Amino acid sequence: MKLFRSLAPLALAAALLAACGGGDPDVPGSGSPSGAPTTPGSFTAFITFGDSLSDVGTYSPAPAQFNIQGGKFTTNGPTGTVWVENVAATLGLPVTPAEVGFDGQSVKCPAALQSTVPAIQRSCTAYGQGGARVTDPNGIGRDPATGAGALTVPVVTQVANHLANPAFGGRFADTDLIMVYAGNNDVFVQFGTFAAKAGQIQAQAAAGQITVDQANALLFQAQTEAQEAMKQAAIELATLVRSEILAKGGKYVAVMTLSDIADTPFGNSAQVAPARTVLTDLSRIFNLWLRESLTGQPVQIIDTFAMFKDLTARATALGFTNIALPACDIGKIATATANVITDGSSLFCDGNLLMTTPLQADANTWFFADSVHPSTGGHKAISDAFLAQLRAFGWI
Amino acid sequence: MKFQIQVLAAALAIGMTGTVQAQQNIFKIGAIQYTTNSKTNGIQGIGVPPGADAETGDATTLLLTYERLFTPNIGVELVIGIPPKIKAKATGTVAFLGDDILSARNVAPTLIVNYHFGSEGDRFRPYLGAGINYTRFTDVKSRLAPDVKLGDSTGLVVQAGLDYAIDSKWGVFGSIARVDTKSKLVAAGSTVLTTEIDFRPVTYSLGLSYKF
Repeated sequence: MKLFRSLAPLALAAALLAACGGGDPDVPGSGSPSGAPTTPGSFTAFITFGDSLSDVGTYSPAPAQFNIQGGKFTTNGPTGTVWVENVAATLGLPVTPAEVGFDGQSVKCPAALQSTVPAIQRSCTAYGQGGARVTDPNGIGRDPATGAGALTVPVVTQVANHLANPAFGGRFADTDLIMVYAGNNDVFVQFGTFAAKAGQIQAQAAAGQITVDQANALLFQAQTEAQEAMKQAAIELATLVRSEILAKGGKYVAVMTLSDIADTPFGNSAQVAPARTVLTDLSRIFNLWLRESLTGQPVQIIDTFAMFKDLTARATALGFTNIALPACDIGKIATATANVITDGSSLFCDGNLLMTTPLQADANTWFFADSVHPSTGGHKAISDAFLAQLRAFGWI
Repeated sequence: MKFQIQVLAAALAIGMTGTVQAQQNIFKIGAIQYTTNSKTNGIQGIGVPPGADAETGDATTLLLTYERLFTPNIGVELVIGIPPKIKAKATGTVAFLGDDILSARNVAPTLIVNYHFGSEGDRFRPYLGAGINYTRFTDVKSRLAPDVKLGDSTGLVVQAGLDYAIDSKWGVFGSIARVDTKSKLVAAGSTVLTTEIDFRPVTYSLGLSYKF
């Protein structure tokens, strides 16, 4: 007995050692959503929130004043539809812009004013607006002081506007298919801020005012600040999905991650080249925290980062002949708009304004309309990929 | 946890065969220096440049051990210490981030089976030991990320030491040990950094012993 008594402290020590085993720490962003529906929905509304990629004509008055058949961020024309319209057509549901206007003037749900058909009156569920950010009302193309230019109603307000529309009873329904695709403009804003700081830091280093190590530390800090802002935007978007969509009746909810914006003509341009990985990482940081904040939530995530990489890799098989150049001609757009639009924005691009020299552009076989937006063919490839995901979820 | 069970089994076996011997207790107090030769598998994370790395520094702290001798030659020793603060500096392509990018305290209880050469009453008695170390990191902090965690580590330890008896109760000792301490680090700030640190510490101890 004496032996066992004398061993008791050691046994206790060993047991304590064993009990302490806490294992490896969790890695944020490695989880998944769970609990989304797995059976097909009986959809009566296709509701989308987002930015220019999901815009079905918010700014159509702007190009119309120049007699351009524009209005969407793609190669506009009679068949120039964007992914939202393509998915809606497959579902057999009408969609129209939730708001139309420019320069501080706008009309909400114009379809309801123009039609007495109930289905059309309820069709204004495409909330995406070019330039819109997640929560910041001052998106790209809007003058913060005067409100002139693009409306850029942020996604948080887009959702609030839907809930405020009496036609939908202040709630989402089981019969709504809801897709949220936002954050691209937050990347552009943060990347622009980073690039401006980086330019200053490099000038200081070149002038010998700071050492190389100091310059590196400042660049690291500028990058960290941009990443922090993207993390913030992702958490705000996830919070919006949880508290304003899921908590208010949303059942079939798909949330898109961001694609790699470095894989666009803008991302491949000479001025972006030195900071290309910074641009890529802003999307990746957003995606990481979006995923982390939606872990365990009953949504489906559609990872456009992987999806667009896959589309690029299979571009030739998908029938694309050019994935490097914008189909819209910058010079032609400038001429057609009396030099008001000089950046080649596809909002002001129709079939008459495509590049004809040195190459003959094609709205269906060239992937990009402008430096960041897909052409008609690009949008078709994206909507096909989204539809494949919706089928894989068992929703359609 | 397998190791502890084996250590216990060994201790039991030793105790069983050595019941006729007088049992002894030894307390030791001293200073222990951790000299780490840390290696990582590189730092991974979004926005981290290739070749980013970190290296941990040395630390010294107070050591306390209790050993129970079950035969004149074999004892089981429990080693504890005041958790020292270990710091890390940035190296490789992120060396510009500077020193002190991470600090942590390691609580590292260790259980060792020692074989003492010579016999009772010898003035000099060298000893060799092998056992198991459990390390838990507390107070983990980084100025680069508000949320940093280091995983627990369980690993083998080997030691060699020398006891010098001043009289029948008091003595001095010195020992050197090699500990297997590996830990997964996850640092969440604007981005999430992960790495596995192999601390590969060698510890040097020096102090007083008391036998009763």
